[in-house]
Amino acid sequence: MAAWDLTVTVEDLGPDAPPIQISVTSDLHIGGVILKLVEQTNLKKDWSDHALWWEQKQQWLLRTGWTLDKCGVHADARLVFTSQHKALRLGLPNGVTLKMRACFSSPVFRTVIAICRVLNLRHPEELSLLRPVEEKKKKKDKDSSEELYDLTDVPLTAGSVQALYNGMPAHFADSPKTEAVYKMLSVSLPSPAPEAIARLYRPASVVDKTHINTRWLDSSRSLMQQGIQENDKLWLRFKYYTFHDMDPKYDAVRLTQLYEQARWAILLEDIDCTEEEMMLFGALQYHIGKLSLSQDMVSSCQGMDDLESALKSLEVKMVGDSNSTDMLENMTAPELNDYLKIFRPKRLTLKGYKQYWCKFQDTSISYYKSSEDRFGEPIQQLNLKGCEVAPDVSLAGQKFCIRLLIPAPEGMNEIYLRCENEKQYSQWMAACKLASKGLTLLDISYQNEVKNIQTFLSMQRSNCAAPVAQTDDSINTLGLVSPRYHKKYKPKQLTPRILEAYQNVAQLSLTSAILRFLQIWQALPDFGTSYFMVRFKGSRKDEVLGIANNRLIRIDLGIGDVVKTWRYNNMRQWNVNWDIRQMAIEFDGNINIAFSCVNADCKVVHEYIGGYIFMSTRSRQQSDTLDEQLFHKLTGGHDAL
Amino acid sequence: MDDIDAMFSDMMQEMDLLTQSFEAEIVSVPLPKPSSIPDPQEMNFSIGFTDLNASLHDMEDNDLDALMADLVADISATEEKFATDRDAFKGSAPVASIPSQPQSNFSLQASADTSRPATSFNSIAAQPPPPTSTPSKEELEEQMKADKIKLALEKLKEAKVKKLVVKVELTDGSSKTLMVDERQTVRDVMDNLFEKTHCDCNVDWSVCETNPDLQTERGFEDHENLVEPLSTWTRDTENKVLFQEKKDKYEVFRNPQNFYLWKKDKKSLTDMKDKDKEQLLEENFCGASVIVPDLEAVLYMKEDGKKSWKQRYFLLRASGLYYSPKGKTKASRDLVCLVQFDNVNVYYCKEYRIKYKAPTDHCFILKHPQIQKESQYIKYLCCDDERSMTLWVTGIRIAKYGKQLYDNYKAAVRKAAGSATWANRTIQTSSSASTPSPTPKAKAANGHAPQPAVETKGPGNQTSFPEILPPPPPDPMLPPPLSAPSSTTNVNKIPPPPQFPQSSFPPPPMDDMPPPPPPPEDELPPDFMPPPPPSLTSYGGAAPPPPPPPPEPLSSLPPAPPAPQNFASAGGAPPPPPPPPPPPAPEPAAHRPPGTIRKVAPSPPQRTTAQLTAPSGGDFMSELMTAMHKKRGQQ
Repeated sequence: MAAWDLTVTVEDLGPDAPPIQISVTSDLHIGGVILKLVEQTNLKKDWSDHALWWEQKQQWLLRTGWTLDKCGVHADARLVFTSQHKALRLGLPNGVTLKMRACFSSPVFRTVIAICRVLNLRHPEELSLLRPVEEKKKKKDKDSSEELYDLTDVPLTAGSVQALYNGMPAHFADSPKTEAVYKMLSVSLPSPAPEAIARLYRPASVVDKTHINTRWLDSSRSLMQQGIQENDKLWLRFKYYTFHDMDPKYDAVRLTQLYEQARWAILLEDIDCTEEEMMLFGALQYHIGKLSLSQDMVSSCQGMDDLESALKSLEVKMVGDSNSTDMLENMTAPELNDYLKIFRPKRLTLKGYKQYWCKFQDTSISYYKSSEDRFGEPIQQLNLKGCEVAPDVSLAGQKFCIRLLIPAPEGMNEIYLRCENEKQYSQWMAACKLASKGLTLLDISYQNEVKNIQTFLSMQRSNCAAPVAQTDDSINTLGLVSPRYHKKYKPKQLTPRILEAYQNVAQLSLTSAILRFLQIWQALPDFGTSYFMVRFKGSRKDEVLGIANNRLIRIDLGIGDVVKTWRYNNMRQWNVNWDIRQMAIEFDGNINIAFSCVNADCKVVHEYIGGYIFMSTRSRQQSDTLDEQLFHKLTGGHDAL
Repeated sequence: MDDIDAMFSDMMQEMDLLTQSFEAEIVSVPLPKPSSIPDPQEMNFSIGFTDLNASLHDMEDNDLDALMADLVADISATEEKFATDRDAFKGSAPVASIPSQPQSNFSLQASADTSRPATSFNSIAAQPPPPTSTPSKEELEEQMKADKIKLALEKLKEAKVKKLVVKVELTDGSSKTLMVDERQTVRDVMDNLFEKTHCDCNVDWSVCETNPDLQTERGFEDHENLVEPLSTWTRDTENKVLFQEKKDKYEVFRNPQNFYLWKKDKKSLTDMKDKDKEQLLEENFCGASVIVPDLEAVLYMKEDGKKSWKQRYFLLRASGLYYSPKGKTKASRDLVCLVQFDNVNVYYCKEYRIKYKAPTDHCFILKHPQIQKESQYIKYLCCDDERSMTLWVTGIRIAKYGKQLYDNYKAAVRKAAGSATWANRTIQTSSSASTPSPTPKAKAANGHAPQPAVETKGPGNQTSFPEILPPPPPDPMLPPPLSAPSSTTNVNKIPPPPQFPQSSFPPPPMDDMPPPPPPPEDELPPDFMPPPPPSLTSYGGAAPPPPPPPPEPLSSLPPAPPAPQNFASAGGAPPPPPPPPPPPAPEPAAHRPPGTIRKVAPSPPQRTTAQLTAPSGGDFMSELMTAMHKKRGQQ
């Protein structure tokens, strides 16, 4: 057989080194080519990760047993000998960029699995990679300021079961640097500066929301095949909104990253919510941020919650088997006694506040004319159980009022209590809040509640004094809500609203707060819908197709609303006509729809639908093995089958 | 020191009495008149007490006196009587307290309360030698004092547990009265009602409250506590508690498509396959968060304080009920929140077309449960038709209760299924009980019979049992009533079987069998104070001593055994008729404990004890009594 020269560029010789020519015959297999090549370079190193990349055809020559002939390589082919694993800058859901090595030669699906294994993220099938949205470059100094976490040195472990060391996977415990990476991954970040939010891209319409989905990489092809170069930046995101088998015990990173993705989706109005919901999200973010800050790194990996609950139950136990003297003490509940100003708004009357001697006992406030009368009959006794408590506070005006809406058979009684100072306010406010839930001052959460209120007050103080100077425990409320509300409200107005919502979540532990956040997010009507611009067969205008975990929706852009819903469980089959790039889906009852994609690749849409169907095949029993083949079968293109 | 004693006993009385008066006020229930002697000893501390948490000190200082004065006016006769009793007791210090304790024990048994028994046990155990005066009297006194303090404190604590006597109206116009403990859920209460009413236990049964002022009705959710909402009723309320089948209670779980796919055409909804229904439930109720049906429609709303009804476009979200203001889009950010569900409940309304000139009669309101009268804080909404109303009300319930609702449903289904099998089993029991010999059977019929029907059918049973299938159905319900006395606790019938062997009960039934009444009779008659102590002490000897294990033994001890007994026999000897010996044994046993109770109950129509037992069936008690009389008569 005739020998001919094959030109191969060896990357490791440097960018300027000339390509190496080796003499080969067509029946030489790829392995032989590599052997010859390595001999010729005279470089001693571990070549095991290297493989041949065929540039013109944009494909890897990974089957070392195949001959050049079989691969279709001829003398005109220009091959590159390069490593399969390369560094990648990975934009994580929390907005941080992490540099790490990823496989450029295997299908993206498998690459993501490997990345997630390093990051200790379970269920990698729910995530994928996408090309980032170009950032508006206003200042050039930004690049230097961007803190880069580096995990490139961490070897990719093959085993799927990870030994825990110091509360984190062993490969993170090597150095302080990697420990810091793990902390970044598993603990949610403080809320962003409002300016940072404002700088980022926010979709303004459902059409805008389709853009992000055009960026997903093809899961069945490799990074290299999709034009990704070494050190390129890609985003890692949760793609399929069905979160299988979420377990806070093992999912510290997964939970945190999911929370971060959800938080950004809300801050950037990727998903719509009402004002009330936004305030609650804000309150939860504040709470989570506060707890995350105070939490030590190791304790963040569970432990703490368990310990807390254990302590609590211990406390309960102690209360339980107390002796008689203890009991006697317990029976005499603590009280609050003080002069407060009371005001009962009535229709058409403008009466001012009047001072009374108030006694807070159990879940009731009794008030008397003066402290001397306190043994007599109170003027009135207010039982706060089931009432609504709202703050009416202005630090600038030194106004510390508690607004009570006390339910009575005839309706609600509105009463204002005015406190003298912060200390008094926080005590009485905490008592009112507990009482509204039927708890007394005896409850262990009382002190905590008092502290919470004080922190929130101090936060407000720092807001109105100097919004720039922030201490660790004060968070700018503007960073908790989307920019829309920056315009709508001043921080002064925003804080009380968030505080109001905060009351209901202040007792949650870190994990349960995150879970609550995710729950509310998942309960939003638009949750989990990915939008694509499509054109239905027979229609002349662009429409939007929404893909959710259980259904497809058709949105008419003219009406701006859902006009049709198809559920997957009515779906018979779907086909892709790769030539005309059209998807055809058949549903029960002879319903056929067909559409082509306007701005995204047809493969992305096909993969999304197939992916959701794959997700639904995952069984309740958690098995660690992922049916990769099935995934590709459901999502792959014509060449994959 | 004696003063303290006196004070404590006073206080206890106080609490009892208070309780009564409170109950009398709060609950619209015809109570047996508070009369005669035993009153003071009643242990039913449902509490009206406003300052229960007030220090003891405070209580003696002011409140007690004042309260005393009130009470004396109320029931001076009782007071006097009790005073004399007490004087009698005072003869010797130790004895003084004991008599009252046994008594309390006794009523405890009757009420079969889970928590309280512990204390009384303690006290009993602490004073084993009550009748004989002991040497180290002072030590003993010390000890007793400590115990008493403890007892009193625990009673105080226990007194915190609010109990109400609730009259529940049935669909046939009759009513049942039962005692509801603060800790009981609606589910527990319904289980009681199932036992008392012999209805099929299907999932649609629900306990509802109606408010005639507002013309509203709301079905309590199974996980709610019943006492809490009832205690917010006003004194003079005409509100009622109903026990009825409500089809819409769990309709969403039977036909989720009607709620989650409401936009689809009717035909495809009715044709829905079961598999698809299941999947819908799975999707919406089994995920990380419950998905609320995406309801949106034009509804009428009565504006605060205005008479007119205005149309608005409403949307339901998990976070609350929203409407989109005029001229705005339906986008989430423009929505206005009408109400969030944390503090309100949703109520069906009746005849609002007349009352409030509503456009249709399909109205519902959202209000704080404590609001009982017309108020600007109530949100009035009106739907076009009934289907839409059910959709919205159910949707709001899902938004408010979330997964809990589904759990309730599953529990209800289990219960319904369980009761079916249970009924089967009890049929066996009853048949085995009725077939063997005429005498026990007659007893059985009498003893059980909460309804006259059974009694009449009893005789028929023996001869032609197989054909007369009607009798069994009522019969199966018999065991429940028996265990019912204990049903104020939520425990009965679960732990019994294991309990039985170790308790001191087995022997009595045996004795009972050959000459049924004598042994118990001997023990019981002297007067109604002594009996409990013997049984108790003997029990205490046989079983783990007093302090730690109170709940199970006690709860099972007094009335529960009968039921288990029956079951044990049923389970152990499944073949209905043949084995004659086993059935009789359970039978007497079944009778005896109630008999014990009976001994106390009969003499005075005590208020509390009566109440305590009444819930499980006041009529039942009297039945029992007559049964016992008959039995004695026979012998």
